[in-house]
Amino acid sequence: MMPEHTIALERVNTPPAQTWNYLRANDISLMVPSRSRKGDVYFALPRLFGGVECGMGPQVTTWIESQSTDAQYVEVPAGQIRTEPIVASMDTGVMVRAGATATIVVCQDTKDAISQESAPLTSASLVRIIAERNAHVRVFEFVTATDVNQHVESVGIVAGKDAHIEVRQFFLGTQTSAAGLVCALDGNRSRLDLTCRYLARDTDTLDINHVVRQRGRLTRSEVHESGVLDGKAKKSLRATIDLIHGSSGSEGTELETVLMLSDDVTNKTMPVILCDEDDVAGNHGASIGTVAPEQIQYLRDRGLTHEEAEQLYVRALFDEALICAPNSAARDAVLRRATEVLGATVANDLIEGLGLSSLEEG
Amino acid sequence: MSERTRTRTQVADVDRSLYDFTYSEEGYERYDDGLTPDIVRAISEKKDEPAWMLEMRLKALDTYHAKEMAPNWGPSIAGLDMDHISTYVSPRTKQAKDWDDVPDDIKNTFERLGIPEAERESLAGVGAQYDSEIVYHNMRDEVAKEGVVYTTIEDALHDPEWEPVVRKYFGTLIPPADHKFAALHYAVWSGGSFVYVPAGVTVEYPLQSYFRLNAEGAGQFEHTLIIVEEGADLHFIEGCSAPKYYEANLHAGAVELFVKDKARLRYSTIENWSKNMYNLNTKRARVGADAQMEWVSGSFGSHVSYLYPTTILQGDRSNCEFSGITFAGATQDLDTGCKVILNGAETTASVDTKSISKDGGCNTFRSSIVVGRHAANARASVSCQSLMLDDISRSDTIPAMDVRNATASVGHEATIGRISDDTILYLMSRGCSESEARTMVVGGFANPVSKELPLEYAVEMNNLIKLEMEGAIG
Repeated sequence: MMPEHTIALERVNTPPAQTWNYLRANDISLMVPSRSRKGDVYFALPRLFGGVECGMGPQVTTWIESQSTDAQYVEVPAGQIRTEPIVASMDTGVMVRAGATATIVVCQDTKDAISQESAPLTSASLVRIIAERNAHVRVFEFVTATDVNQHVESVGIVAGKDAHIEVRQFFLGTQTSAAGLVCALDGNRSRLDLTCRYLARDTDTLDINHVVRQRGRLTRSEVHESGVLDGKAKKSLRATIDLIHGSSGSEGTELETVLMLSDDVTNKTMPVILCDEDDVAGNHGASIGTVAPEQIQYLRDRGLTHEEAEQLYVRALFDEALICAPNSAARDAVLRRATEVLGATVANDLIEGLGLSSLEEG
Repeated sequence: MSERTRTRTQVADVDRSLYDFTYSEEGYERYDDGLTPDIVRAISEKKDEPAWMLEMRLKALDTYHAKEMAPNWGPSIAGLDMDHISTYVSPRTKQAKDWDDVPDDIKNTFERLGIPEAERESLAGVGAQYDSEIVYHNMRDEVAKEGVVYTTIEDALHDPEWEPVVRKYFGTLIPPADHKFAALHYAVWSGGSFVYVPAGVTVEYPLQSYFRLNAEGAGQFEHTLIIVEEGADLHFIEGCSAPKYYEANLHAGAVELFVKDKARLRYSTIENWSKNMYNLNTKRARVGADAQMEWVSGSFGSHVSYLYPTTILQGDRSNCEFSGITFAGATQDLDTGCKVILNGAETTASVDTKSISKDGGCNTFRSSIVVGRHAANARASVSCQSLMLDDISRSDTIPAMDVRNATASVGHEATIGRISDDTILYLMSRGCSESEARTMVVGGFANPVSKELPLEYAVEMNNLIKLEMEGAIG
């Protein structure tokens, strides 16, 4: 029997097409806490956002909506270049009007984490974005916290004609992270550039689902994932490029590179192309393995130990995350995690290298 | 960017007269449609089987009824109604060793398919199955003298020397509980081949089994069991075809391959079932140390296919190569691919597949590469290329990789696209018609697979592609 104040999210984060169930790569099931909101008035997003498909699926959307105190709606007027990043809350909808530019930061917020004795302490983000024609949207996602057990992040983006979406994801912490993103390239010549960097170590579980729906003509998608797995970490990545009938002249590319540093890790990768149109090009590739012996030898010849050589790859992840962090909250979150993983000395090296101030110096 | 317009050529019907001919079933033994314990008992009794086999069949029937199909799986098989499928149809003839002893209509069938001719020219042995029973089986004397056994499972079960061997291996690699249609297979299996190649023996010419399903509304459930002992070498070819009916036919065979240490087995298939066929076949190989398993697979027919040959690389340094091509035309929804499980250290796997979709046909390529914890330094690569010949067809690729050893290296690449207009224009500027240019490009696309086949089968495969392409260009 389900404990009180707990919800089971069964088989969520599923891709549009699935593989053999016995591989256990199609989805993730999570137990999440549920706080009672009886009698509360909930300020929901405009109904238009209900039609935005989100990466983790409708079960997760319903759960986050039920747990969030309020939905946050932000609109960027047509033609405006908004320099101040929009910081997403637990349930956020952003409307980027025609020709506008916006930056959205989804930084795991543990202050708002949901706590119930019967389920893991869980943080969550639900972000829905509508980018009208010619809009340019940058989305930065950072999952770094270790003071919660579980994080759930579901993103849905709809891109209009000539809209350009850039997404940078950094999954660097939290024992269990599940993240899904759907980007619907509905408008002709709309484009998605998605890069995802991850680190999973110890007994971490990381479950990622990326879906690009290419509906418009001449759309482009470039999806690049790479990361490092260590300890007894388990990672699943599902990446789907869906070239829908009518998306004539479109192209989609997906590439993943995985570095495995321990024999105890489990890496599952499922790169999918669905193609219902002939005048398109879909490509995907995956490379899974360890650092080549000759590369390790090269670094050892220059005085690094094997472990130090491997840690260079981890350091590079944090380096990139710090460079990308668009606001101080995101930067501080990455730095805190870098200190935990690499030690204070290396973390200070990183910020000095980038000409930034340390956490202590504020 | 300017909007582009494209013209498309007419699509005509494909001429499949080579395969689309039938003979009357009059006088044949045909069991009632549907699946009951009585039918299963009747099949077993007809074959005078040992008790353990009947027990296995009845247990499998229970499993079949108990198992559900996964709701999130592949093309629909809703059109397959087991209450309207006869699981056993047999011509009233005995198995022959000479084509002259085979009834004329059946002999004519295999003559038209070129089997006796291929046997004379390039095969070490042939088995020919017509509906549920093997009607012809023969092997060259010099191969038999080397100790090679090529017979039917039924005959092996009646041979005191081979019955224990069949019992030891049968149903162990593909257990009846593997999936719903594996269970169905074990309940009603009939026909197929048993091959045993002793240690160190190289069979110079291939052995071939050809499966022909003539009966309407019937199923074929042959079982192939091949054991290639240590250091032995065999090439086995499997061919299949059926005439087209408007009622569903079912093929749910099983192929179990045991490749012992340092042995090599090449298993080639040219599948050209008719387009009313549900081809739900299961194939699996277990490979020992330093051994090699090669699959060459051409899938052209069937209405719906679920076909994913599996290789378990159990022994250290064992190797698997899979080359496959799938051609899906009008009314076809073919879900094909392969699975490789790398358990041994320094095992290697290479998967190279091509698919072509046209006239509204649907292709789905699925693969799984699983690298186990003990597969140190394992290497695997998967390449999947899909060609779309029009905008009413569909092509999906759904690969999965599960890697649990840090020293392993797994690579995957896939591309989906169409023949570029530039390529066609280039060939046309050098004197080819559009039709010739397209056939040439598709032929070149399929060439890496067809070149893996013996010449006469490569010719058949190329003819099939040409046959299909003729319809595409109009």
